[in-house]
Amino acid sequence: MSNACDKPTLAGQFVDLRPLTPDDAEMTFAWRQGARAILLNQGAQTIEQQRNWIAGRSASEYNFIIETKQHQPIGMLSLSGIDAVNRVGEPGRFLIGDEAAAAGLPAAAEAMKLLYALAFDTLKLRRVWGVVASENRRMIKWQTFLGMTQEGRLREHLFINDRLQDAVVFGLLDGEYRRVTLPRLESLIAAARLPVAPSASSASSASPE
Amino acid sequence: MASQAAVIEIIYRALRSLNEELEEEKRVALAPDTRLFGPDASLDSLSLVSVIVDVETAVADELGRAVSLTDDTAMTQDVSPFSNVTTLANYIVKQLGQG
Repeated sequence: MSNACDKPTLAGQFVDLRPLTPDDAEMTFAWRQGARAILLNQGAQTIEQQRNWIAGRSASEYNFIIETKQHQPIGMLSLSGIDAVNRVGEPGRFLIGDEAAAAGLPAAAEAMKLLYALAFDTLKLRRVWGVVASENRRMIKWQTFLGMTQEGRLREHLFINDRLQDAVVFGLLDGEYRRVTLPRLESLIAAARLPVAPSASSASSASPE
Repeated sequence: MASQAAVIEIIYRALRSLNEELEEEKRVALAPDTRLFGPDASLDSLSLVSVIVDVETAVADELGRAVSLTDDTAMTQDVSPFSNVTTLANYIVKQLGQG
């Protein structure tokens, strides 16, 4: 079983990844009931089940809460299925649960950057992989944009949203991460640092009468 | 040279495609001053990438020129190209007019 205290907090500029603990059960259970989680695998049915699921995570997994620098939890993300022999791992359980608190932050981009640094730099993995429900088009675009390769399709592999869906298999090698993924993640983070043009309404309200 | 109106229509189409995947109350308005990314913006990182991918693809397919919206040039502008629909369209038109 996991001991979250043994796991590091990964610090970014906009968000941190801190270890998931059983105390996060109620919050993460609520996130899992949200519309945004509808294309994820079905999870716990009660808060108690969620608490037990968190407490029962393998010590080899890294399960994180994504939180702002003000320690406001906004989502979750994991690295599991770590195979030290073949140096493979599986990022997943990715969910921005509190979209309002995440507004204006490159939360998804920086969270993924921190997780990939853990996978490829700290743990020295050479490959990460995962599956995405075929109807989750936004996540498919996201993974493709970040350099993942579609390696296959598992037909009718998932029962999500009351119907069978294919699972699209994605994989990313260490060299691809450094050549494609990291620069694109850094670009998305940089985009959040750029000054924005004043909106028409604020410009007009700021104008002298 | 691509017209701003043609590019704005491409951006609107990308936003329509995104809206099909969003809950009704989270759908993005199709308007020139719609905030895209940054403080008070409509899009998070995932949605921004959806728009970027669709816009880059449509620009290449329909206007015959590749444009990158996340390269160093885009990220070193004085004002974010993703401030709103108009700034993104202006940036794309400018990039298409160069080289």
